[in-house]
Amino acid sequence: MSALLSATGVGKDYAKVDSHGGRLKLVWDLLRGRPAAHSFRALDAVDFELARGASLAVIGENGAGKSTLLKIVAGVVAPTRGHIQVNGRVGALLELGSGFHPDYTGLANIDLAAALLGLAPDEIADRRDAIVAFADIGEHIHDPIKSYSSGMVVRLGFAIASTLAPDILITDEVLAVGDESFQKKCVTWMERYLADGGTLLMCSHSMYHVQKLCRMALWLKDGRIERYGPVADVVPAYLAYHEEKSARRSTPMPDAAARAAGLYTIRELALSPDGSIAQGTDLTVSGEAFSPDGRAPVMLIGIVRADGTPVYGVGTDMDGVAPRRIAADRFAFALTLPGLALLPGKYFVTAVAADPEGLRVFDTREVPLVVTGESRELGFVRLPHRWHE
Amino acid sequence: MTSQSEIAGTPAAPWPGAAAGSARRNRALFVNFFRRELTTRYLGSVSGLAWAVLHPLVLLGVYWFVFTNVFRATGFGGRSFITFVAIALWPWLAAQDGLQRATVSLAQYAGLIRKVAFPNEIAVYASVAATLALQFAGYVAVLVVLALAGEPVHFEGLVIAIPVWIVIALAITGIGLALASLQVFVRDVEHVLSPLLMILMYLTPILYPLSAVPETLRGYVAANPFGWVVTRLRDGLLDGNLALQWGDAVALAVAVATFAAGRWMFLRLSPYFEDFV
Repeated sequence: MSALLSATGVGKDYAKVDSHGGRLKLVWDLLRGRPAAHSFRALDAVDFELARGASLAVIGENGAGKSTLLKIVAGVVAPTRGHIQVNGRVGALLELGSGFHPDYTGLANIDLAAALLGLAPDEIADRRDAIVAFADIGEHIHDPIKSYSSGMVVRLGFAIASTLAPDILITDEVLAVGDESFQKKCVTWMERYLADGGTLLMCSHSMYHVQKLCRMALWLKDGRIERYGPVADVVPAYLAYHEEKSARRSTPMPDAAARAAGLYTIRELALSPDGSIAQGTDLTVSGEAFSPDGRAPVMLIGIVRADGTPVYGVGTDMDGVAPRRIAADRFAFALTLPGLALLPGKYFVTAVAADPEGLRVFDTREVPLVVTGESRELGFVRLPHRWHE
Repeated sequence: MTSQSEIAGTPAAPWPGAAAGSARRNRALFVNFFRRELTTRYLGSVSGLAWAVLHPLVLLGVYWFVFTNVFRATGFGGRSFITFVAIALWPWLAAQDGLQRATVSLAQYAGLIRKVAFPNEIAVYASVAATLALQFAGYVAVLVVLALAGEPVHFEGLVIAIPVWIVIALAITGIGLALASLQVFVRDVEHVLSPLLMILMYLTPILYPLSAVPETLRGYVAANPFGWVVTRLRDGLLDGNLALQWGDAVALAVAVATFAAGRWMFLRLSPYFEDFV
């Protein structure tokens, strides 16, 4: 089997600038062919090979360099160090709205995608119907992409990428959006694509999808390879690392570090009343989140039972609200659950910070909660009810 | 609706252009961008196309009023002021528009630049080409209208005018590439550009003949590269003088060098666009 893709010692530094003067200085340095004075090492010394028909998942925490690696393979970003060789046509579906022009309609974007492959609109006339059918977004195909929901964008993106049948398909977190039936459709398509000899390079936080679709996995940590091998070896090691990490998690990441890595973090999380609450009284979950770019993150608050069973979860985006800005990069959130319906027992209240699009989870924190009471009811939540006599 | 399995069955079939070289792809991309520029910018809105012709016309009318009725400017050698100005004003406005569009062109394609591998310079080329193509069409239309109105327009002068426009296009593309790449890093470029262009316009003999400039300053004004454009267009279209000059070769060389320098700068900076655009 020939290597379709090989990466040797690939590394990428991102220039860091804060002030305007810094930007001018950066331009001056780049023009003289010098490296940026201040840089952030996003990726370093990454080696791997992808044979025809292989399937590789890139896993790791947010900010580990996964997206950077995929961008380098897709040719969007030039590596600062090392070398990458691709012997085939790459179809990349990088994050949301990959390669779409927001002002173009869905149909115009299909033509654009074709042009990116060197095809005139009339040459893809026969494929356009197949793409439209696969995307299955109805009349919206005539609307500009900017009016689409995130799910619709991914539908169209996946429909294009899949119909264009690349030698290597690169997908970054695309399975995280879209409804379940579309996800199923995508997974089915990918399985078929792999069975037909297609090559897949994907990045996902869903270990379910990783294990289902990929044979090999590459775990990136802080821009370096932590582990690389069969999925059966790498995924359990990665999950074990996460469990260990959440066990010893106590202090939040410093703001400066979060800003440098572009992470949304939860700085504080508190319950009122704290720790123990009588059944049927009001519980308020509040805290503070940090945003690296000043945009309000989507906050999700959830309750799980001590054994891990989810009870209820809700996000600011679902209710159409946003955390309140208290400083340029800090946001306060508070959620009150009046007359808490939980039955007595041990629970955890979990807060999750996601990006403003609500697509990617960046930080999770949880605090224990004990609900006290004398109820003999069964289960873990009291539903409104009425007996008829 | 087509069923999933039917679509899933097709991937193995290669696309007609699957093995096509990158030159072909770049051409397809340019055509796509160019068309889109024209349709969204001018044909998308009812007033868009009208503005492309109306704006210079209104400007011309204002200049005519101010310079012939208020200031009573002279020195056009017995030639009509309106034709004298129109011949030079359009290329200037085209150049100005082209530069401004080029400067912000990368921002328009930010989504693509961040996520798809393609030569980013195509965005600038399409933007400049669409602007100049439209402005040139407006130019010819205005010349025809002036001629019909009895103004002395020498259409054989197009033999000079068209190469001059090509030289403008080359130079504007070069400067546009440089400005566009700089704009990605320093957002002020766009805002500094308008007042700067305004000053440059008055320093260029567009509204006045070079002969009206005091002798001591004439050398500086004549050194303005756009002065060559203005002079040559008037030679051809106003005077019907088709003779070539040594200055033409110099202008062409300067335009080629400008383009090369702008492109060099663009290619130096473009690997970093993805992170800043």
